[in-house]
Amino acid sequence: MTGTHASTNGTAPEEPPRPPPGQPALVMLGLGVGVLLMAIQLWLLTVALNLYLLREERGPLLATGISGLIFLGGVIMLRVLRRRPRRRV
Amino acid sequence: MSTVDREEPLSERTRDERWRVEFPFGWDADELVSRRHLLQWSVWVSGALFASTGLLAVLARARQRRRGGLRAIVEASAVPVGGVQYFAYPRPDDPAILVRLGERRFAAYSGRCTHLSCAVYWDPERGRLVCPCHQGIFHPETGDVLAGPPPRPLPSIALREEGGMLYAVEEVFR
Repeated sequence: MTGTHASTNGTAPEEPPRPPPGQPALVMLGLGVGVLLMAIQLWLLTVALNLYLLREERGPLLATGISGLIFLGGVIMLRVLRRRPRRRV
Repeated sequence: MSTVDREEPLSERTRDERWRVEFPFGWDADELVSRRHLLQWSVWVSGALFASTGLLAVLARARQRRRGGLRAIVEASAVPVGGVQYFAYPRPDDPAILVRLGERRFAAYSGRCTHLSCAVYWDPERGRLVCPCHQGIFHPETGDVLAGPPPRPLPSIALREEGGMLYAVEEVFR
């Protein structure tokens, strides 16, 4: 960890490293987009269920493909983040 | 000078420093749910949604492969005009209904209502196929929904007549 900034011995706490301007907003935007994509996956699941009840064969396959791409994107994002050292903001 | 005198006055410290002095816990305790953990859990949930959708696709594909096959229903002459014959198709527990619409006209449908799968019956007074659970009504010539909550027409069953015998050939979904 880069910082245990709290002090109990009375010395002045050191200033935590500041993130580049705009980075926290970008990170939160990324998380928001991720949650939105998950909502789309949930919608795709309901569409696939409806098509399954309609005895469609291709529709659920297509929904699975799109859902899989979203999942793959999440896995890639997770792997990219694991390679980068964690930095406290 | 005492220790207290040497300390910076509280008002001159930055807001962050004041907060740290008043709440002296390390960052480690502050990491119960980090954004990375949230992302990790999100990816797991995303994977579960993907797997569920994939399971539906596999089930849909498996079901397409068993849509029936040739099966004898009844002698055509045994059903009067305006009468019906109940039978099972494509599986022994799948209800189906054959309607004689005219001298040479027959129609067959799945007997499972497309709303909540109740068994559909023939109402001779109204000349309609009726689901008793929620009063879904289907047209006997097309299987289309005439009234009630069913969202889709009844699946029809293709027929063939050979030597006076009626055969179910295939279940057709619309």
